[in-house]
Amino acid sequence: MSTAAIHADTHHDHHEHKESFISKYVFSMDHKMISKQFLITGIVMGMVGLIMSLIFRLQLAWPDEQFGFLETLLGKWAVDGKLDPNFYMGLVTIHGTIMVFYVLTAGLSGTFSNLLIPLQLGARDMASPFMNMLSYWFFFLSSVTLLSSVFVETGPASGGWTVYPPLSALEKAMPGSGLGMTLWLAAIALFIVSSLLAGINYISTVLNMRTKGMSMNRMPLTIWAFFFTAILGLLSFPVLLGAAIFLIFDRSFGTSFYLSDIYLEGVGALENIGGSPVLYQHLFWFLGHPEVYIILMPALGITSEVISTNARKPIFGYTAMVISLMGISFLSFIVWGHHMFITGMNPFLGSVFMILTLIIAVPSAVKAFNYLTTLWKGNLRFNPAMLFSIGLVSFFISGGLTGIYLGNAALDIQLHDSYFVVAHFHLVMGSAAIFGMFAGIYHWYPKMFGRMMNKTLGYFHFWITFITAYLVFFPMHFMGLAGVPRRYYQFTLVEDFNVWMDVNKLITVAAIVGGGAQLLFLYNFFYNIFKGKKAKQNPWQSNTLEWSTPVERIHGNWPGEIPTVYRGPYEYSRPDREEDFFPQYEPDESAPEVLHTKETKSAPDTKKVEEVEEGSVFFAAIKRVFGLS
Amino acid sequence: MRFDTLRIRPNSFIKKALLMLTTVLTPWILMAAADVVEPPKEFSLANWDWVSILTWVLALLVILVIARAFDIGALTEKITGKSVMSWNNINAWIAIIFIVLSLAGVFWELKYHGQYVLLGDSSSLHGETYDSMFYWTFGFTFFVFVVTEFLLFYFMFRYRYNENRKALYYFHNNKLEVIWTIVPTIVLTFLVLRGFTTWSKITGEVSKDTQDIEVFAYQFGWKARYAGDDQQLGNQNFNFISGTNPLGVAEDSKVEELIGDLKKEVAQLEALQASAEDSTKAWKARHDRFVSTGLHITYPEDYKSLKAKYTDAVSGAYERTLEKDIKRKKTALNRISEYRKDKDFFNGAGDDDKVTTEIVLVKNKPYNFKFRARDVIHSAYMPHFRVQMNCVPGMPTSFAFTPTMTTAEARQTKGNKEFDYYLYCNKICGAAHYNMKIKVTVVDSEAEYNTWLASQAPLVTPAIAEESQKEEKDSKTEMGEMETAMLTNNPTLN
Repeated sequence: MSTAAIHADTHHDHHEHKESFISKYVFSMDHKMISKQFLITGIVMGMVGLIMSLIFRLQLAWPDEQFGFLETLLGKWAVDGKLDPNFYMGLVTIHGTIMVFYVLTAGLSGTFSNLLIPLQLGARDMASPFMNMLSYWFFFLSSVTLLSSVFVETGPASGGWTVYPPLSALEKAMPGSGLGMTLWLAAIALFIVSSLLAGINYISTVLNMRTKGMSMNRMPLTIWAFFFTAILGLLSFPVLLGAAIFLIFDRSFGTSFYLSDIYLEGVGALENIGGSPVLYQHLFWFLGHPEVYIILMPALGITSEVISTNARKPIFGYTAMVISLMGISFLSFIVWGHHMFITGMNPFLGSVFMILTLIIAVPSAVKAFNYLTTLWKGNLRFNPAMLFSIGLVSFFISGGLTGIYLGNAALDIQLHDSYFVVAHFHLVMGSAAIFGMFAGIYHWYPKMFGRMMNKTLGYFHFWITFITAYLVFFPMHFMGLAGVPRRYYQFTLVEDFNVWMDVNKLITVAAIVGGGAQLLFLYNFFYNIFKGKKAKQNPWQSNTLEWSTPVERIHGNWPGEIPTVYRGPYEYSRPDREEDFFPQYEPDESAPEVLHTKETKSAPDTKKVEEVEEGSVFFAAIKRVFGLS
Repeated sequence: MRFDTLRIRPNSFIKKALLMLTTVLTPWILMAAADVVEPPKEFSLANWDWVSILTWVLALLVILVIARAFDIGALTEKITGKSVMSWNNINAWIAIIFIVLSLAGVFWELKYHGQYVLLGDSSSLHGETYDSMFYWTFGFTFFVFVVTEFLLFYFMFRYRYNENRKALYYFHNNKLEVIWTIVPTIVLTFLVLRGFTTWSKITGEVSKDTQDIEVFAYQFGWKARYAGDDQQLGNQNFNFISGTNPLGVAEDSKVEELIGDLKKEVAQLEALQASAEDSTKAWKARHDRFVSTGLHITYPEDYKSLKAKYTDAVSGAYERTLEKDIKRKKTALNRISEYRKDKDFFNGAGDDDKVTTEIVLVKNKPYNFKFRARDVIHSAYMPHFRVQMNCVPGMPTSFAFTPTMTTAEARQTKGNKEFDYYLYCNKICGAAHYNMKIKVTVVDSEAEYNTWLASQAPLVTPAIAEESQKEEKDSKTEMGEMETAMLTNNPTLN
């Protein structure tokens, strides 16, 4: 360590003392603190979303039962313990909004992008710490706005999380389209501001602030995933903002972007003509489809990292993983129409979107196979993080396969808006992403809080959540295939749907058990922040750079100089090493960067190693495509 | 290297948490399971569910034994200093048990719920193509699902941690990766091509002999419009919608009646507008009197509504609402009178149209449903026919199909004498979305259909159109009855 570094060290310590409570915990500009803020807000929002889903599941399982405690809890929305249909819709809507945007977008990507981008790349902080802080506080404001809408007299927004106009545009169409909807739009606008501030920051940090030796092709897959996610968000969220602003204009200033030819009961024919509700759907899904990848890709990145570490094995096909992330990102912008096959869109357009959509299955399949091969002949350590990652792969496969049905315009005729869709996205996007988030929490908890979570509780948390998630969502496929529509308040009024009553009860019971298991997690999480066992420097024997930082949080991440990176992040179980891991930051000039299996028998070919080091992933990609390598 | 061993202190919180969780959850699960299996019986010793009780006891015993094992394990570990239990192995075993049981569960569910998949055979012509597309996709995906899921959990079991072994250093294999890029591509190309032809067939050109039926969606119900004897559906516009003309058909007498009504309403609103200042004063006076005499404490409910009116009046919201209402009604009047000038639009084709509350179709006859929505987006969903299309305000949509199975035949195959086809709403549209449906009946012969259609009243009976108001009143009550019938079908509206 040079003298300059020591000087910097003392300077940092000095700085540390000056931090007040407000600047350390509230308006913090330290990326590590901001990531914790995102995480804890995300967990709180997640619990709200979960409880909402349990309440409406009760209604679906026992539509004729009266639950006294619901009246105590919800007042006029559950008179005599029976949920009000309007409030049911409100719960469904807010549950969806919270889970999609607040938990799985901000809670997942906000937490781990903030934590890992500087730590895994070797940066002192984000490119713009102030913007980063603003990003959290916009998110916080947005959360408060959304939650406050639940307490509005006319109820929260209740047109489904996609809030299609005219339903969401006309106050008289349903009570939730009044003040509740206004608050929803305000919350989403704030959310988009937050997400753009964050995205710009992530991209510039990844591109500009990598430490010495951290070329793009040595970046961990987490960073690649966060990088593509940020690009997706930056390009697609503004479109949603546009859609929301048009909707605000239609609602409050008498414009007709989305409204035409409407006659409302009790009001009469409206003046609006010339607008198109389908326009909104195009704008919404132009964000909406990339959004599902914004949710899923960080989870896939985390999984790659966790699986490789705990399988003690290099991730199989690093380049292929990056290319498939890239492919998924690109394709996700041109497939939005598959949400709209039956809106009356031109059938030819439907066929184009169908073809593009099914292409996305190819990079997704490659990813799944690569995960499987990474596990093959590994030496698997089942930490809770590893279990959750494997759970993600399982959900990714079973939920992804049903995407092949829904991406097919012809099959979508029957399955659109049925429970099949509910099953599909709750598995592939909901459960998979939340499992990625849990994996991340269990894996990087020691880095965040300097303490360990309890493993045994983690195991129970995993198995109960995993099994109940399948019990909840798997039978829904069959309901959907039997033509049961989603967003129905109760099924008893249609004779055909009565055969599903026992399934509905099973689902609700499983959901309650699964929800209860989250209490184990909450306890484990919050208790161990204060009382957990002190973490070791590198508890999972991982290769990546974040484990070289001190266990105790310091400003600027590394006390001295930022370490240099010498090799890729997944050099586990190298035959030329005694240990089964080989950190990126461990200087060993004699060891080649990558050990080709063939070369282990003969002498290592240093020239070839050089080539790999210099070639970027893009270059490697081109070579792969044209079969040059 | 020691890795991942369990160290449990007796009375540790884990055990407590576990016991608590199991005690809380077990009765729930058992109760629900019992409920699913059979309805609860009368309370008597003979009716006791001994199986459940035994299961209960057994479950408790198992929990106790496990808890004891934990204790002993922890103690042994403490004494000998060696790890007794490896969670790593336990997890691996759970994984393999899980996959075997859950794949068995999947097969069981396929057997049990398979009969409901796609609700049995399709009841429409294009449905057969649809079903074959579906089963091809199902075949491929189910195969991949079983193989990959099994491998995933098998690998978990097979390659669990062993400190004497080192993982295979294997980061890349071009040949392998090319294979699993190309194979899915080929399979997907096949599915895409098939999907493309199926989709094109379903959404293709509509033949000329197809009968048009207008299906009209509104919060919360459906109506259908059949052409009368002229075999032609009349024009329509949302501005013409009124109580007696729910679909807004361009028909002289109904539209004239609406114009009269609108003019009357505008006059009334304008009168209110003229006296707005006076009424504001009156509300203010009443409000002040209420407060000064302390009535607002005695009658809080009355005061609440009074205060709302008072605030509206004082803030000017009342006047603004009046102004908006007048403007809207005047716009509607202007638009209607523009249409009235166009004699081709009011061509009389709609006079004999029949608006019905049931859809009746003839087997093996091609139909084209033309969808309209009155207020918000709805979606017409007929799963038995593999038909779905959104109904969008301001944008006409349609779906052409040919029913191939009559209601009577469907009743026979399903073994349910009360079975009926329905068209459901499948796009969230408001509070009563879940009960927005219309019966669809498929009859065997044209004759049956004609009898039914003849029994439906046309929009205006030719004789009545020329005659006096008396009959018009009749048709009004008839329509009123229809509405009431609708309402009674719809409990949430009562």
